[in-house]
Amino acid sequence: MNSFNANCENCPVHNANNLVKLGIDMKDFDFVIALAGNPNTGKSTVFNALTGLRQHTGNWPGKTVTRAEGGFEFNGHKYKIVDLPGTYSLLSTSTDEEVARNFILFGQPDVTVIVADATRLERNLNLILQVLEITDRAVLCLNLMDEAERNGIEIDIRTLSKELGIPVVPTAARQKEGIPDLLQYIDEVATGKYKCKPRRIKKRDPKLQKAIKLLSNELKQLFPNLPNTEWVALRLLEGDQEIIKAIKTGELEHLERTELLSNASDSIKKEKVTI
Amino acid sequence: MVNKKEEIVELANNLRWEVGGNFHDSLMESIYKEAGDIVKKTVRKKDEKHAFGFDKKLDKIVTNKWTGFPIMFILLAIVFWITVQGSNYPSQLLSSLLVGDLYETLKGFSHSLAIPQWIDGLLIDGGYLAMAWVISVMLPPMAIFFPLFTLLEDFGYLPRVAFNMDSLFRKAGAHGKQALTMSMGFGCNAAGVIATRVIDSPRERLIAIITNNFSLCNGRWPTQILIATIFIGGLVPANLAGIISAGAVVGVAVLGVVLSLITSWGLSKTVLKGEASTFNLELPPYRPPRVLQTLYTSLIDRTLIVLWRAIVFAFPAGLVIWSVANIHIDGISLADYFINWIDPFAILIGLNGIILLAYVIAIPANEIVIPTILMLTVVHFGLHGVGAGAGVMFQTDSLSATKQLLEAGGWTVLTGVNLMLFSLLHNPCSTTIYTIYEETKSIKWTALSTFLPIVMGIVLCFLVAQIWQLF
Amino acid sequence: MNPQTALLIFGMGMLLVMFLFYPEKGIYYRWKKAILSTERVLIEDALKHLYDCEYRKVNCTLQSIAGNLEISSDKAAKLVQRLESLRLITSENSNLFLTPDGRSYALRVIRVHRLWEKFLADETSVPEIDWHTQAELKEHKLTPAQANALAAKIGNPVIDPHGDPIPTSEGNLPEHVGVLLTTLKTNDVAIITHIEDEPKTIYSQIIALGLHPGMQIRVIENSQTRIVFDAEGDEKILAPSFAANITVELIRDEEEIQKEFNTLSNLKPGEKAEVIRISNALRGQQRRRLMDLGVVPGTIISAEMVNPSGDLIAYRIKDAVIALRKNQTDHIFVKNIEDND
Repeated sequence: MNSFNANCENCPVHNANNLVKLGIDMKDFDFVIALAGNPNTGKSTVFNALTGLRQHTGNWPGKTVTRAEGGFEFNGHKYKIVDLPGTYSLLSTSTDEEVARNFILFGQPDVTVIVADATRLERNLNLILQVLEITDRAVLCLNLMDEAERNGIEIDIRTLSKELGIPVVPTAARQKEGIPDLLQYIDEVATGKYKCKPRRIKKRDPKLQKAIKLLSNELKQLFPNLPNTEWVALRLLEGDQEIIKAIKTGELEHLERTELLSNASDSIKKEKVTI
Repeated sequence: MVNKKEEIVELANNLRWEVGGNFHDSLMESIYKEAGDIVKKTVRKKDEKHAFGFDKKLDKIVTNKWTGFPIMFILLAIVFWITVQGSNYPSQLLSSLLVGDLYETLKGFSHSLAIPQWIDGLLIDGGYLAMAWVISVMLPPMAIFFPLFTLLEDFGYLPRVAFNMDSLFRKAGAHGKQALTMSMGFGCNAAGVIATRVIDSPRERLIAIITNNFSLCNGRWPTQILIATIFIGGLVPANLAGIISAGAVVGVAVLGVVLSLITSWGLSKTVLKGEASTFNLELPPYRPPRVLQTLYTSLIDRTLIVLWRAIVFAFPAGLVIWSVANIHIDGISLADYFINWIDPFAILIGLNGIILLAYVIAIPANEIVIPTILMLTVVHFGLHGVGAGAGVMFQTDSLSATKQLLEAGGWTVLTGVNLMLFSLLHNPCSTTIYTIYEETKSIKWTALSTFLPIVMGIVLCFLVAQIWQLF
Repeated sequence: MNPQTALLIFGMGMLLVMFLFYPEKGIYYRWKKAILSTERVLIEDALKHLYDCEYRKVNCTLQSIAGNLEISSDKAAKLVQRLESLRLITSENSNLFLTPDGRSYALRVIRVHRLWEKFLADETSVPEIDWHTQAELKEHKLTPAQANALAAKIGNPVIDPHGDPIPTSEGNLPEHVGVLLTTLKTNDVAIITHIEDEPKTIYSQIIALGLHPGMQIRVIENSQTRIVFDAEGDEKILAPSFAANITVELIRDEEEIQKEFNTLSNLKPGEKAEVIRISNALRGQQRRRLMDLGVVPGTIISAEMVNPSGDLIAYRIKDAVIALRKNQTDHIFVKNIEDND
């Protein structure tokens, strides 16, 4: 595994081993995308719109329980897309949240697409901000824009994108509106053309702030390239067994990620994929 | 390096004391503070008062004290009515096609190939016939009932039903959404069990799973209707027979609902007392349903489930049914051994050995219980002039023929009543048992869901039989 | 068989089943309890008792062990001998003391006990009154490794639901802080930090009053015969002997004192309110899910509609309409705000 990683630092599927462990077969794919979001935001509809599959969707919080996978091709890149269980948060011990949390952290998807309900942006931001703590490559798919418009809700997409530090794409997935833009941004983030600068949560409790600072400084020394030390520190405080295990076994080191070279040519990528 | 790693974990453990137990609370506050700031900068609501005006108006009507329940019952009644009416013709068509023509063709084909009789019997009379029976009884109602239900779901009405019904279910220790999983159960218990996923509280979800079998599924309706028409309808003058027998069937279904509530209450107070329980019921905005897409996906989904079930569960059952009637030891068939052995017990609970054997070998599908009973009755009593041979399930052409046949098998009104009760209260079909295991991943809860109704059924049938005989 | 006989036999069978399996009184449960009372259990209970004495800085004797474990003096004497031979305790003028080994053993048992209580409080619906009893059984069963796995599963908690600190796996335990409720003066405001769960008779009455750690109280009257105080909006009266089982921490900072105790359940359709705090009575999954949905201090909530039976209210929380039951909204403190549009 080590030699594999050493060879493949800039390779988009350098984390293939981890993905295999999580049950994802990355053969024949260039990038992996995780689809996260609150229940009943049209996540399955977006999934279907991207893949052309017809997964059952419904106007119910919490329809998708088992993980769905699919694939599509865009701009000459082959994408594997994994539909994570819909959750309100990533902080609790419920199975759904664990699956989603661990996938985004350990699976290191090349892009995490967060599907949010434009009519309830504030509540959805809870999950969005949590996801941005873990990964720095995300796209926000602001779905149900039609419903928001119907009800007189206006969202300043550019400011939102600036505030969050990631691309924001307004969509109405039921009408297939905005999907091409979504694809475009996914591709840009995956290939590194778009560099995300995700917003991180300011912890307001001084005691918590202090503890996290202390821990994340220690973590930075140990794992200098780890992008999300604050999140790891937080999970350590919560006593997350997966994280503790990952520190002890050193698995965390493999999650360090050198920034993708945006101009890395496709041929190199293809070559690495076949390794 | 290793020490350093241990040190960090240790440091985290010590810091936990300083930070205190409820930093999760303060973290959530921080996140929502941040979310609030972002929303203030980016979201503008024109005319907040009239936002979701349509939703609010509609909600006023569907959750109103006077109109809420009537609307709900009317909608559900329409769904059931369309299902029953709509599936009549396709069911007959499928039946004459699969059980009639195709069966004959297969038989003829196997004769022309001179296939040994036992292979022909086992595969065609046994496996194929069971499969065909399940498909023709189950597919049409499933293909109609579920799309209709899905349309209501897509529109956003179902959560309102849960909202209206929650009071009743709260008193039974359950979740309002159980009203929906129960309704789904009237179509198919396996689908009802899968539908419990929308209940996100562990205890209430288990309750909904375990009690779903008390909803009379579409595989059991035909049995209820047939037996009620013959035995209950036969008790009253002909002009009342229709109403009375329909009333008896509805009565059994209502009994199922009542028992399901009582059982829910009992479970929540005993074995499930300790399971974690939370409650929240989100009422999403109404959305125009996408009729064509819903019909398409729902139809494809359900058809696939039915076919899968027919092949995986019904086909083997058919093999067993044919075998027990055709394998003989010392000149007595396996079926007869079992029937003679269990008969005293069966009589005690007001049934007979044939019924119990039919329920044992027809675990996979309730649809084939009646054909199996008819076949076994003919074979066991050596009746002439009816039936299609040992191990070949059949249906008679008329009600009176069925009645004669059953009476020749020693059936009384008590047998009929108890069969109706036992059809409501026995183990779930094997598809449902399998689904329960898949959903709970627990042998304990699967076993409880399987044996609880059968014990209740035996006790109830016993009491009815004995008290009946007192008078 | 005639029906009378059949029914009679059936009735007797049912009685027999009841007799065997009746919860807590049936033969099966008694038998299960009896086999638990092994030597290990006695040793561990005695050590726990001695640790408790040490923590409260009182002396323990053979008699107090006999009393606490409800065993005869003879049996207690044998037990003390056994403990001494295992070098878990030492004695001095009939007073018994823990050796370092004995202390760390006691802390291991206490750790499991408190962890299990925390688990029951957060991850299950087992009623408060049963936590202690169930933990008493569990504490003798888990190995240290299993205890660590349990702790990890519930996020390595530091405080149990009664407010007691949970010893770490190394056996560290911080000093007790806070004062007894009986020492407060009129108009003092404090937070309940700990409720002693033994003896059960007293504990069950405190629980019945709805008191729990994390609750804010204000003393109204403190006399020889009774102590009257306001607990989050409700007046409670306790005898001093009961109040001595409650530990509190004074709030000195005027800012931190919560003054309004209106709850969300009092909100009528059409009214709006701002969340002040979620009471600690809502724990574990319930609490987390509410916060996930946006019920945090500062959130504006409006009551939208009532169901036909009038006992379930749907609220607009962060633009979503969510129905919550009364047993939840009773524990969400809010302050009403005027509808200004």
